Amino acid sequence: MSSIRLENLVKRFGSFTALRSMNLEIANGEFLALLGPSGCGKSTTMNMIAGMEQPTEGRILFDRRDMAGVPMGRRGVGFVFQNYAIFTHMTVRRNLDYGLRMTGRPAAEIRRRTDAIAELLDLTALLDRPSAGLSVNILQRIAIGRSAVMEPAIFLLDEPLSNVDAAFRAVMRTELKALQRRFGQTMVYVTHDQLEAMTMADRIAVMDHGELLQVGSPLEVYNAPANTFVARFIGSPGMNLLTGRLVETDRGLAVDLGEPGISPPLPAPLAAAARAHPRREVIYGFRPEQVHLTDEGSALRLPLFLAERIGARTIVHLGSTEDTVRAVFQGNPALPEGVLSFAPDQAGVRLFDAEDGAAIRTS
Amino acid sequence: MTAMPPPAPASAPAPAPALTAGAAPARSEAARLGLRLTLPAQVLILFIAIFPILMQLYISLTDWSPLSGRPWPRAWEMWNGFANYADLVADRRLTGAVGRTLLVMVVCVPLQFLLGLGLALLFVDDFRGKRVFYSILIMPMMVVPAVAGYMFFMLFQSGGPVNDILGTLLGRPVTIAWLSDPTLALVAVMIADTWQWTPLMFLILLAGLVGVPDDQMKAAALLGANAWQRFRTIALPRMKTIIIIALAIRTIEIFKIFDTLYIMTAGGPGVATETISVYIYKITTQDLVWGYVAAIALVILIVLSVLAVLAMKRMAR
Repeated sequence: MSSIRLENLVKRFGSFTALRSMNLEIANGEFLALLGPSGCGKSTTMNMIAGMEQPTEGRILFDRRDMAGVPMGRRGVGFVFQNYAIFTHMTVRRNLDYGLRMTGRPAAEIRRRTDAIAELLDLTALLDRPSAGLSVNILQRIAIGRSAVMEPAIFLLDEPLSNVDAAFRAVMRTELKALQRRFGQTMVYVTHDQLEAMTMADRIAVMDHGELLQVGSPLEVYNAPANTFVARFIGSPGMNLLTGRLVETDRGLAVDLGEPGISPPLPAPLAAAARAHPRREVIYGFRPEQVHLTDEGSALRLPLFLAERIGARTIVHLGSTEDTVRAVFQGNPALPEGVLSFAPDQAGVRLFDAEDGAAIRTS
Repeated sequence: MTAMPPPAPASAPAPAPALTAGAAPARSEAARLGLRLTLPAQVLILFIAIFPILMQLYISLTDWSPLSGRPWPRAWEMWNGFANYADLVADRRLTGAVGRTLLVMVVCVPLQFLLGLGLALLFVDDFRGKRVFYSILIMPMMVVPAVAGYMFFMLFQSGGPVNDILGTLLGRPVTIAWLSDPTLALVAVMIADTWQWTPLMFLILLAGLVGVPDDQMKAAALLGANAWQRFRTIALPRMKTIIIIALAIRTIEIFKIFDTLYIMTAGGPGVATETISVYIYKITTQDLVWGYVAAIALVILIVLSVLAVLAMKRMAR
């Protein structure tokens, strides 16, 4: 096991900057998810940790040891590829013991360790089968076992579930999390699926356009997004973000949102932070899950655009020409016709700067 | 007459009876329909492939030659049974030609394979000027073999460029008579063949190498395999089929080696570079013993067919 430290890591491909100055510390035994849309630099980061690509600038340290110049085979890194990269011309056993054979371990040790890992991953019955044509979850286990048998200090997983259909993904997620608990290794998991990151990771690092935007526990990232990108990217659907202007009302500081009306007064700490903020233009954010219907005078009002009833939840789209606000209600509530009056839960309201999208934090 | 093809039923394909899903099992019904539908094509192929072979077999059992004053269907008048085949076994010039062809094959196929593989390995990774080198490398293949023959004929003259270069390197005049020395002539022929056909090997093997999944090579590297181990355990097994194809193509081609060689040495000096094709060409045009030539050609065809089938069986595994 070991910790990973990325210091001012930069990667450029010609004139294209894939990663700009990334600093990140991953603790020993931690499960960190690198989350972001495709092309955000998460795979590049991963490939540099594995040693498949060299950083343009900056350092990568494993337990304070600089990895510059250490070839990928000597880094003690287990890597699970997106397509698993199983050696399909070999049997399951030959896949599992590949690393041990190539590094010249004694035959008895190879046998013992391979049998042990096969037992752990429930692959014993398949050991002598050709690995071509096995099902995806078995291939995933072989890919993990093949790396795990080398007892790597660090496990890197590159979107291992993206080739799996949605129904099966939930099963694989559970399996993967259970495996990580069993091995207890430091794991870095690259994904563009926020649900995978939320359910499995200890901490999530959200990236976009080669930049690390926020690192935190799933709930931190969900509850206190650092900027509008994270707010929109995390959650399904993402956070509602409405541009508005801070206005003083007789009941306190509120936000004029235009068509929906003036928001309920901001909670006191947020109002204080907003007063201290240099600009009046802000983005008013709240989670679709944190909306209630109300008839209070300070409620926001928008016409019903569309209601998606999916059994356990109802996703309500509000707006006159497009769905400017989404709300998620549990179950199947009755909805009034025409214009709905609603308000975000006070505790769930977030403010962001209208220009750079950064969160306006309460101190 | 034995040489005639069977009367072609293709010209009048039987009208297909209406398909009934009753008595006959559906599978054999479908198979029979398939046979009927492909029959014209099959007969055509049979005619193209089988007719010349049967004709060859027929001629090979006679002493017929174009100078015999008979059209070939009447070659039976000169029937000699298996005399041509008996001659063939005792023909020292033929066994010499076969031996020489095999020698060229045994030297050139592995040589061209290793050179081609080495070059392919160099070309898998990107480097500056790759495209230019690539074009230069495959150029020999584009040269018309006859032209290549004249090129090497010129290069290997005793006052030619090869000797000039050797002389410059050694610092004293070199006057090796490449094409008139029995051993060196064969070497020169092999060099010419290797120059011209290594690029094909290179192209085929490069295609195979590029087809090896990059992820698997990386996965192997991450598991601690060094470059040689990665090549041996991942790339090579995945290239097996394409390697067999490359070797089969070159083996068969060298078995038939003729044009470049004939222009360079005409099989000489003496019979020093006489390969099977050159020998057949010579006795066909000079001795005009067509019955005998047919016998040789048939035997070679059979040997090559067996080799090809074996190679394909290996590939299928």
